[in-house]
Amino acid sequence: MNDEFSSLNQLPTSRREMLRNVGGGFASLALVDLLSRDGFFASRAAAAESTSAAARPLLAPQPPHFPTKAKHVIFLFMNGAPSQVDTFDPKPALEKYAGKPYQGKAKVGSNGRPIGYLTPSFFKFRPRGKSGLEISDIFPHTSQHADDICVIRSLQTDTAAHASGCLQMNTGSVLIGKPSLGSWMSYGLGTENANLPSFVVMTDPRGGPIGSASNWMSGFLPAAYQGTLFRSGGVPLLDLATPPGVSNATQRRSLDLLKQLNQRHRQAFANESELNARILSYELAYNMQTSATDVVDLNKEDRKTRDAYGVDEKLTDNFGRKCLIARRLIERGVRFVQLYSGGGHIEDTWDGHNDCRSNHKLHAGETDKPIAALISDLKRSGLWEETVIVWGGEFGRTPTSEGVGKPGRDHNWRGFSMWLAGAGVKGGQAIGATDELGFLAVDEPHHISDLHATILHLMGLDHELLTYFYRGLEERITGVRGQVIRKALA
Amino acid sequence: MAFPAGRELGWLVVLLTAIVGNSAIADEESAEGDLAAYDALVKPDDREHWSYLPVKKPPVPKVTRADWVRNPIDAFILAKLEKQGWKPAAPAKRRELLRRVYLDVIGLPPSPAEQQQFLDDASPLAFERVVDELLKRKGYGERWARHWLDVVRYAETNGYERDAIKPSVWRYRDYVIDAFNNDKPYNRFVLEQLAGDELTDASSETVIATGFYRLGPWDDEPADPQQDRSDQLDDLIRTTSEVFLGMTLGCARCHNHKFDSLSMHDYYRMSAIFDGLQRPQNGRTELDWPAGSSQQVAALAKRDRDIAAAQAKIKQLQSAFRVKFLTDGNSSLPPEALLAIRTEPGKRTAAQNTLAGQHTAALEKEIQAALPEVTRKQIAALEQNITQLRKTTPDLPRGYFMTEPSPKVAASHLLLRGRASNPGPQVQPGLPTVLEAVQPQFPQSTNRTTQRRLTLAGWVARSENPLTARVIVNRIWQRHFGLGLVRTPNDFGVLGDPPTHPELLDWLANWFVHDANWSLKRLHRLILTSNTFRMSKQWNAEYGEADPTNQFCWRFPYTRLEVEAIRDSMLAVSGKLNRKMYGPSTYLYVPKEALDGHSDPGKIWKPFNETEASRRTVYAFIKRSMVVPMLEVLDLCDSTRSSERRNVTSVPTQALTLFNGDFVNRQAKHLASRLQREAADKPNQQIERAWTLALCRPPRADELRIMQQFLTNETQAVRDEAKKRNENLSETDARQRALVQMCRVIFNLNEFVYPN
Repeated sequence: MNDEFSSLNQLPTSRREMLRNVGGGFASLALVDLLSRDGFFASRAAAAESTSAAARPLLAPQPPHFPTKAKHVIFLFMNGAPSQVDTFDPKPALEKYAGKPYQGKAKVGSNGRPIGYLTPSFFKFRPRGKSGLEISDIFPHTSQHADDICVIRSLQTDTAAHASGCLQMNTGSVLIGKPSLGSWMSYGLGTENANLPSFVVMTDPRGGPIGSASNWMSGFLPAAYQGTLFRSGGVPLLDLATPPGVSNATQRRSLDLLKQLNQRHRQAFANESELNARILSYELAYNMQTSATDVVDLNKEDRKTRDAYGVDEKLTDNFGRKCLIARRLIERGVRFVQLYSGGGHIEDTWDGHNDCRSNHKLHAGETDKPIAALISDLKRSGLWEETVIVWGGEFGRTPTSEGVGKPGRDHNWRGFSMWLAGAGVKGGQAIGATDELGFLAVDEPHHISDLHATILHLMGLDHELLTYFYRGLEERITGVRGQVIRKALA
Repeated sequence: MAFPAGRELGWLVVLLTAIVGNSAIADEESAEGDLAAYDALVKPDDREHWSYLPVKKPPVPKVTRADWVRNPIDAFILAKLEKQGWKPAAPAKRRELLRRVYLDVIGLPPSPAEQQQFLDDASPLAFERVVDELLKRKGYGERWARHWLDVVRYAETNGYERDAIKPSVWRYRDYVIDAFNNDKPYNRFVLEQLAGDELTDASSETVIATGFYRLGPWDDEPADPQQDRSDQLDDLIRTTSEVFLGMTLGCARCHNHKFDSLSMHDYYRMSAIFDGLQRPQNGRTELDWPAGSSQQVAALAKRDRDIAAAQAKIKQLQSAFRVKFLTDGNSSLPPEALLAIRTEPGKRTAAQNTLAGQHTAALEKEIQAALPEVTRKQIAALEQNITQLRKTTPDLPRGYFMTEPSPKVAASHLLLRGRASNPGPQVQPGLPTVLEAVQPQFPQSTNRTTQRRLTLAGWVARSENPLTARVIVNRIWQRHFGLGLVRTPNDFGVLGDPPTHPELLDWLANWFVHDANWSLKRLHRLILTSNTFRMSKQWNAEYGEADPTNQFCWRFPYTRLEVEAIRDSMLAVSGKLNRKMYGPSTYLYVPKEALDGHSDPGKIWKPFNETEASRRTVYAFIKRSMVVPMLEVLDLCDSTRSSERRNVTSVPTQALTLFNGDFVNRQAKHLASRLQREAADKPNQQIERAWTLALCRPPRADELRIMQQFLTNETQAVRDEAKKRNENLSETDARQRALVQMCRVIFNLNEFVYPN
């Protein structure tokens, strides 16, 4: 049953594809013109110029641009924007200035909210592991893996708003309509398991991120590359369950009937590959009914594992389930899994405007143990060698409160922390730095396009080569920016 | 920016240039900020690109098989085939052709009665009669409007954080439906959408048409307002140039177009044309606006002022009398109650609040009863006046469009590197240099608007514009055949595909403008009644090997229906299609789980109402951050930008939705009930009826046998399963369940979504 991945013709198949392969510009255009006149493309225009993407095995596994160990990404998205000075970016100077109004020039904060008083971290930082990487007490479990974690403390993005911030973190652009990182990954690498979606997203039970599906859509890439929403229990996928009142036997008999009729119909249209693709899609769907249901069935995991992830503990149950399902997904070949911590609005996310201390305590409490268990579990199962983990939110938070005696922090997009771990990542280090107070990235500042370039690089993809020609432009996730953060590489 | 020399000099120049580097980039840098230098980059040769040349009227070619030619389209298609030594595919079967033309023109299958009528019509013009009749149906506008909505990036919310509803935007959708149904000439359609407010005969309709500009996504909380303004203008420039001109001018925002002869100066000229447009809004909240000519809007404003004045007068009369009534002590109410009422609400004691609450209504009643005749008459006259004002100047429909609130617009600038924070030289409104070597005179502003858009609209809609007619003729061809003569409908530039049949494209464009007077219905009729349209989809091994994508048009292309036609056909076949037209959009069924992924799952969707949700899909509410899963999985277009063509994907999640989802299973039940009603309880008749309804043909003998067997087995199996569960299932119920399964399978057949 391998014909769903029948190999793609490697020759350029159309004038347009030729143009973009050669890199555009005057020379290639003239070259293509000459070839076109010779009828070079006339006979192999089939795939690219067909109306149908179905004729092409969109999700067939593709080799990376260069050899690499990493095969999967798990993106732990801390929706709402965690505060760097309370998590991964220690700022002892804040103790010295505690309660003093901020006098610097940095333009931070959002929506004209008042920039209040410098506020030290709510949690104590300590050096961890052999590396001595400093992490606050908010993550007692995750910090046990400090030597595997590579914190980037000098990230910057272009927006202080959640909607455009989430969009930019996921798609590289503050504007709606661009493909997300997971879509680019599926486009570049395909999937290793046709019975499951290649890009799976699991949101928070309190709601999705602002902008919802625009955070995992495929934009101008074919819809096959968009993220598929999974639920962490019961029926994980929309319309996965056999309809109410229909037995499994009836389901199978009806599908068999469908197949029988479709195959008869196909005899008259033997050359229409789309018909075959569609017949196949029903079989894959049927398999998915079993495989997707199976993947979320955590009863298949032993008690010890479930306990380690915090499954069935009130605080950690949801994120624990998601982390465990993430492991089960990548174990089955899923390319990109994104888990959201926090959903809905303000305090239901990491958006600690009112009381950052209790907000972060809650959200860190929900995620810390599961994330640590995920790392241990991946190491135990050998998946660690082929999985990249990304942790972070859409931006960071200010080192100031929003008012006297008000322990909330506002948005800060000029300097914040995220971390990478896993395949190809050099752990136990912090890259770059913010200023003395934690406002601006000053040392080795990295725009998040650098982060995108680095994640792609870890997966064996060159962000400048992973392009898609759309409306006259070679689109890529990093736009006209992006440099691999070399220091992060093992 | 010039490259045509390479075409003539061949490989040597190609290689040399590859070594020396890209000349376009170098030119651009030297020209940065110098407007004349930008224009000078366009060389005479650049104007020779095929789509920039005037539309010619090529002679209709002579062909050997003249009997195959019903109209000039066939001659052009056949001539190219004959040159290749090829023959056109055999004609489609009558039933196939009928189903094809119904789905194509109105997006619904023919009913069994309509099928019979056509099959019984022995006239050689039977098919022409069907075409004429279909083009008159309202369903035509409903189907073809949706094609246009794809191109203009229609959706009903703004996207981004709040993803707010665009108020009254559906009136634009209704405008498009009516424009198609009334066969509004295309040049007029262009004028109305680009400058409907600036026309001398502006009306509610033409102003609603300008909603075109406002359909795109919009961030109501932009990170950088200056950049956001520039992004909004970019949306207008991209969309307008792609939709009407097949020109990717948007690529010249940050640098000169890498392939087409379009410079940054051209881009910012267009930007200056739109610079006066504003979105009516109140803070972050967008407003709809009364749609009408400036006179109508002014008259309405005056009416509202007059009404307000009359209302104020009434209020004054009443309150004057009220004061008098109270001062004179004419009330029979207890004095403490009166005191309470007369005390300002903020200053009342708790007891007074209670008293005032208890007695206010009674007091008002007393006052009204005591009103002197004179005052009463005065008030009646004023009220009569208000009624009259409303009658003479009725309300205007509210539309969703941008306005040009002032004829004075701040100077427009070229933005260096496309950055709003980096303005370069001032730019005048204008048209792309490659198309207009000498810029037209943009008229002076009227006292109302700049008239810049009117100038643009007039230029786009004039018959000499080489792109406008070619682009729309190609779009219409594409929607009939699945592929355009130019297969990149939004890009007629150098990177776009050249036409497969350049002479045919020109002949059609010329005929459309000069003979058909821009009538889309006449264009449809010409295409639909050609023999080219009547070809079968039969594969030919020899031709298919040489030309797999049918560039020669040797057969009718094999394509899947769009989700709207699939969904509407299911409703029509199940008998549940609600033909209610127009008005606010309907909320289709969305499973609860799909809403859970949203930040406000409870607020964004309305409860399911099956009758409303059974309207045609063109009336479905399209929310940018939550597209109805069934529409999304079946490749509804992306609405963030102009969409030239639908994707066709077959992914397992699509199969899940069509096989397990609520909609199809619901329609399968309805169809089963319909079959029991219309074909009694006889399996053979039910199968035949189902096939005729859904596939427009009787089942073949083998299909009939397979289905009979399925129904028999399934009925038995359902009964056995029920027995195992100790459930008492009647024979009728068991048969009904088996029939539902059959209907579910029919809706999922390849033949249902890929018509022959």
